[in-house]
Order: sequence, then C-alpha cells, then structure tokens
Amino acid sequence: MGLLVFFISFQFMHEEPSEGTRVLSTSESSQTKAEDEPGQDTIETTSISQTERKPPYNGITPSKIEIPSIQVSAPITKEGLTENGGMEVPDNDKDVGWFEPGTKPGDKGNAVLAGHVDSYKGPAVFFDLDQLKAGDEILIHGEDSTLTFEVKEVVAYPTDEAPINQIFGSSDAPSLNLITCTGLYDREAETHQERLVVYTEVVDQKDA
Amino acid sequence: MAKLFSMLGVVALVLGMFAPVALADNHVDMAKVRVLHASPDAPAVDVYVNDEAVVEGAAFKDATDYLELPAGDHTVDIYAEGTMEEEDPVLSTDVSVEGGQAYTVAAVNTVDSLQLEAFEDTMEAEEGMAKLRVGHLIPDGPAVDVGEIEGDAIFSGAEFPSATDYEDVEAGTYDLEVRTQEGDQLIDLSGTEVEEGNVYSAFAVGTADSPEILLLQDNQEMPSEMPATGFGGASESATNAVLYASILGAIAMGAGFILFRKRQEA
Repeated sequence: MGLLVFFISFQFMHEEPSEGTRVLSTSESSQTKAEDEPGQDTIETTSISQTERKPPYNGITPSKIEIPSIQVSAPITKEGLTENGGMEVPDNDKDVGWFEPGTKPGDKGNAVLAGHVDSYKGPAVFFDLDQLKAGDEILIHGEDSTLTFEVKEVVAYPTDEAPINQIFGSSDAPSLNLITCTGLYDREAETHQERLVVYTEVVDQKDA
Repeated sequence: MAKLFSMLGVVALVLGMFAPVALADNHVDMAKVRVLHASPDAPAVDVYVNDEAVVEGAAFKDATDYLELPAGDHTVDIYAEGTMEEEDPVLSTDVSVEGGQAYTVAAVNTVDSLQLEAFEDTMEAEEGMAKLRVGHLIPDGPAVDVGEIEGDAIFSGAEFPSATDYEDVEAGTYDLEVRTQEGDQLIDLSGTEVEEGNVYSAFAVGTADSPEILLLQDNQEMPSEMPATGFGGASESATNAVLYASILGAIAMGAGFILFRKRQEA
C-alpha cells in the first residue's frame, strides 16, 4: 500500500520527460516536416524550402548577440568539437558559444549558438530563452554588419531525441538556431533532461 | 488485501520506472543530395525537386549544400532562371536515392546537350586521413591524370562525364596538377591543402580552353550529441520528485502499519 502511494505521488510530482517533444511557440505558417505548401511566404526549418532569393545575405563571424525581448546582451565566443565529438560550450555563464566548424550566421545553412541556462549557483545567460515567442527578434553583431533573425519556433526535446541533423545540418535559407538546456535537472546524470531549440530565420542585414 | 495492493504497487512502480523512450531517428531513411551547375554556357537555373524550388538562380559553378530527401524516387526539373511559370524545364529527370547515401547531381555539358549526372558521395574519411576524388565535367576535354607535379598520377585517365573513386590521402599541402595523359599540364593546383578528416571532390569544370577546378567538401562537421548547457543551479531537480514521493510512501507505509497493528489488537 505504501508502494502504491509512492507510485501515485511519484507520477503526480514527476514531469514525465519521455512524453516527448514540447513545442513552446510556433509561428502560424511554419512547419517542422519536410512537406511544404507551395506558395507559402515563410521558410521552413528543414532543408527543402521555398527560397525567396532576396538581398543575398553575407555570412559574418559573430561577436555579440542581443535579444531585446528577454534582455539578453552577451559576447559570442568561437567553439569547436570536443574530443568526444560533442559541441564545446563556454566555461562561464555569460558568454554564448558559436559552433564555428558549422555555418556563419547569414550564410545558407544552420548557424548554431549555445549558451548555459544556469550555473551551479543560479541563472545563466540563456535562462529566459524558453520565454521567446515566434516573431521575437535576435540581433547578431559582426565586425561590419548586424543581422536580424526572427524566431519561428521554440521546441523542447528530451535530450537524446533532439534532431541533430535538423539543428546543425544544412538548410537552404540562412538560419540561426539557439540551444540551451531545459526541463528538470537530473542530478545523477549531471545534466538536464531536455534541450531547448529556438529556430530562427534571417530577415535583415544592416551595415555597422 | 493489503498484500494485493502492495504487489500492485510494486508492479506499477517497476513499470513506471521503465517509461518507454521513443527512439526518434528520422534520418535513417533520408538521403543527402546536393546540386552542382557544371554547364559552362548554360544560364542561371532554378532547380525544383517534386515541384518545390530547392535553389533559385544557381549559376555556373554554384553548388548547393546537401539537402535531405526521403529515400525513393524524385522528379528533378531544371528551369532557366525565373521561367518556371511560363516555360518547360530545360532538363527533367527522375532520380532514385537510397537512405543513408549522399549524392552530387550535376548539370553537365553545353546547354545544347545538357544532361544530369549523379555521383555517389562518401562523407567520412578513414581515421587520420583524408579522401580525395576527381570529377571530369569538361565537355570537350581530353582524358586527364591528376597527381603531384613531377610525381606519379594519383588518378589516371579520368574522362568526361565521370568521377573517379575516392583515394585515401594523408593530410598535408600538395602541389597537384591536372594534366593530359601525355603529361601536359592543364590546371595548376599548387598549394592544395588537404585536412585530416575531410572528404574532397575536385570537379574539373569549364571548357578545354579555360578549365578550372571546383573543390567541394563532401563531409559535414556536426557534433554527435547536444551540448550540456546547464548545471542545475536554477532548475528543478528530477530526483527531488523521487525524494518527495519516497517520503510520502514511507509515511503511508508507516501509517498503514500502525493501523494494521491496531486492527489486530482490537
């Protein structure tokens, strides 16, 4: 009987992480599958998309990120691959890392930025990332210009189910994906149970 | 009765702990395809796959990044830029792609004889080495050898329109050249840097009079897993739930025990 009570209360308290992917925010016409609707104005998050060839954007080496809607303003550092083949991340709670072997923001493809959600003591640079909504803007500053990206979708995945290829792989439009940890923190595994991905697409480039 | 409940509890608890984790590997049956415009006199084109535009305004020597396509058959239509609405495609063909395989689909030959050639790409190099292959996409060019200047040919007798197999090459900087089989240099590729872990396709494009090399990279750098970007300092813990639940469970067990004993005594 005690065990039954244990089980029932466990279920109530414990956010089931393996229920799967949670979409926190999405713009009306964006989709997450490869099938598209022809004639749509928006650019999907997978690699086959209707490209509206516009002012061709120039890729930049990013040095600073600003997200006005959640008061983020942070330096960007270059990160590569770890010895185990994972992505390196900054060793502090203030910098945001750019996956340098991948794509430059502004170039065709997925540029990826990763930042900590919290440190051992408290919130870190991407603590409020899960508050972002479709339509919010992200500013990426480089040496000669600033790119503006618009949030298309915010999704939380159980860590092992995050679609690496979709986040880091090729894409036809210049995209920027922000990643951080989210969900409950698993003290035994020493990592969060979920990963948050904010999918954004480029909308503007201005000279500095 | 109490025993039945506790047995049920155990079963439920065990089932609850092994909650199913759906393995979502959506990319096992996807193929990667990139498109290369290798026709020296064809205008810029728009490429459609299954009636959806995948690249617009691709000019001679443009190559797309790898796009993902589900394994199976697809229709590729190539239109002169901007003419999709009004005119027939310049080139139309069905391609069949296998899951887990990468391809380069090149539009080759002069515009009057435009054709599509598909090559299978490798995306991984051997440990500590690089991979290199050569593609001959020059319509009126002779068969060629590629090797180090004053050295042996690494690739011999490559003809239009084909690509050689990949050769394993050690990382380094090489003074390579594309030359006729008699040894006359056609393209000087001195100072070619070959980096460990990379896979290269060197496509010879252009015309016999003005040939050039388009060096593409066939591998993609991508991490194997998501980074860990949190230390729990401002997050709710999963194990707290277990702790609270066990405390409640223990209290319930204790209460049950006391009640049970009281009933017995009564």
